[in-house]
Amino acid sequence: MANDTELLEAFEARAKRRECRRDFFRAFGTAAAIGGGLALASQSEPLQAQATLSDGDILNFALNLEYLEANFYSYAAFGTPIAPMLTTGPGTPGSATGGRQVAFSDPAVAQYAREIANDEIAHVTFLRTAIGATAVAQPAIDVGTSPTGAFSSAARAAGLIGAGASFDPYASDENFLLGAFIFEDVGVTAYKGASPLITSKVFLEAAAGILAVEAYHAAIVRATLDAKGLVTPALIDATEAISNARDSLDGASDIDQGIRAVGTGSTQKSNIAPLDGNGLAYSRSAGQVLNIAFLTKAATDRGGFFPNGVNGTVRNSAAS
Amino acid sequence: MNQDIVFEVLGACDKRRAERRNFMKLAGGAGAALAGASLLAGCSSNDDGAIVTPSPTPSPTATPTADENVLNFALNLEYLEAQFYSYAATGFALPTDLLGGTGNYGQVKGGRQVAFSDPAVARYAREIAADEQQHVAFLRGVLGSVAVAQPAIDISADATGAFSAAARAAGLVGAGQAFDPYANDQNFLLAAFIFEDVGVSAYKGASPLITNKTYLEAAAGILAAEAYHAGLIRTTLYRKGLATPAVIDATEAISNARDSLDGASDLDQGIRPIGSASNLVPTDSSGVAFSRNAGQVLNIAYLNKAAVDRGGFFPAGVNGTIRLSAASG
Repeated sequence: MANDTELLEAFEARAKRRECRRDFFRAFGTAAAIGGGLALASQSEPLQAQATLSDGDILNFALNLEYLEANFYSYAAFGTPIAPMLTTGPGTPGSATGGRQVAFSDPAVAQYAREIANDEIAHVTFLRTAIGATAVAQPAIDVGTSPTGAFSSAARAAGLIGAGASFDPYASDENFLLGAFIFEDVGVTAYKGASPLITSKVFLEAAAGILAVEAYHAAIVRATLDAKGLVTPALIDATEAISNARDSLDGASDIDQGIRAVGTGSTQKSNIAPLDGNGLAYSRSAGQVLNIAFLTKAATDRGGFFPNGVNGTVRNSAAS
Repeated sequence: MNQDIVFEVLGACDKRRAERRNFMKLAGGAGAALAGASLLAGCSSNDDGAIVTPSPTPSPTATPTADENVLNFALNLEYLEAQFYSYAATGFALPTDLLGGTGNYGQVKGGRQVAFSDPAVARYAREIAADEQQHVAFLRGVLGSVAVAQPAIDISADATGAFSAAARAAGLVGAGQAFDPYANDQNFLLAAFIFEDVGVSAYKGASPLITNKTYLEAAAGILAAEAYHAGLIRTTLYRKGLATPAVIDATEAISNARDSLDGASDLDQGIRPIGSASNLVPTDSSGVAFSRNAGQVLNIAYLNKAAVDRGGFFPAGVNGTIRLSAASG
């Protein structure tokens, strides 16, 4: 970082921009009614009311996901959920339960966890400020280790554990990284899928900035699993299994990849960045993202990591 | 929603974005009425380059749209990245059928295969090389007949070349000394570091300029890929920096050098930990990645904080209508 004066200027500029965002959002809110329908509902949300979605609706959907990520990483890195003042708003409030601090053995992984936790908490703060008074409350979130909980269900779907067993993402560095792996690429695809639906250029650029950060996070997690997988190949297998489990939830197309290297010998390539044949990241619709968050391929409004569903107008998983 | 109202609100709020909008109007060919776009304020001596008719031009069949001008700008950057990684990973340049188009075609100077000592880094290089080549092919496919040709690119290890100049600006090598990005794993990773975060900030900065939703989502997909790459490079440098702290110092020096080129605001971070947390993701205090406008990206690509139309990694400038660096110093 540069010197303090520059830093201060940067903060002031940011505060000013944030103020602008609020002004803009207010202006946008009144104009949204005449704003031409957004196509989200037509993509893969049969339960979605065919109402016009505002940018606020889309950002509120993202906020639910950030609540989930922020609480998982906050528990893992610091042993606590996010601050209660960051969880208020319209909708059905809930607690994030079941997490705990990881006793990291690799200090670098502990540093990564703290960095990602800070970023995700900043995303919650940023989105709440950008959305303003209509920012939804944190819904009930299950980041626990119960055999019937979301992490265990996800791990069981991937074949990592057997019937009745539990998966504890806080038990070790490796389990933490696999727990993170369950989320990270999904966040990237969610923001990419939402990008063409956002009307405001200001919000769009901000969302692009969060998209980028989620991809950086995903790369940290994938690269670290790749390095540890050299010693523990089962980690590589686990990422493939989780990826396949995600793919089994979100519809027929293969939009997910583990980290197993491609090819052999002197032409072998790693697979840190999960991309299509054009070198582009994948997209998921909101309904597909909720298939994974709810851990169901059916159209429903709750389950998995969100036992009581998400708050806001975008809340139904797709019939996948 | 009415675009003009959107622009009015934004224009009142955010001068920088207004500059970009003006820049886009200019790039789209409506620049005559432009008043005081500070992006170009310092380039009166170069204003003949603001709207470029590629010369020699192989009979252009269509005039690029504003979106296409943005994508062509990105294509220039992808040529640079793809050639660097292709040479480093395989020892070969991109296939020649991926290089033609409008504007001035140029050769690649320098570049050779790295003799990687860490097989994982070699795999990373091959992955990124393949991704970047796909980006070139993808953008060319989208742009069709209006795609720009590869401009002249300097990725050499010469003491007078762009990599050495960048490394010298960062204090990594002394006067007259060369920085060879192909010499070993560490140099390769540092050279990659010079590009990667810039690509992320460039695509993010361009995102609100793209009107077509299909292009926008594609650009978001490339943005994500660049961020994955950057995260991979930063994570690998950090792991190696645990044993060789000079690597961490070098990233800070390169970051500061980039910051010295692209204007007063701090848009760049090395990988030194902050407190008890790593810093593998360069973000502002809201956890959001930084943006650079096209002029700022070219400040870094040209290695020049002044408003110019060539230099550094692009000795003859980039092709297309967006080709001037910003007056950033």
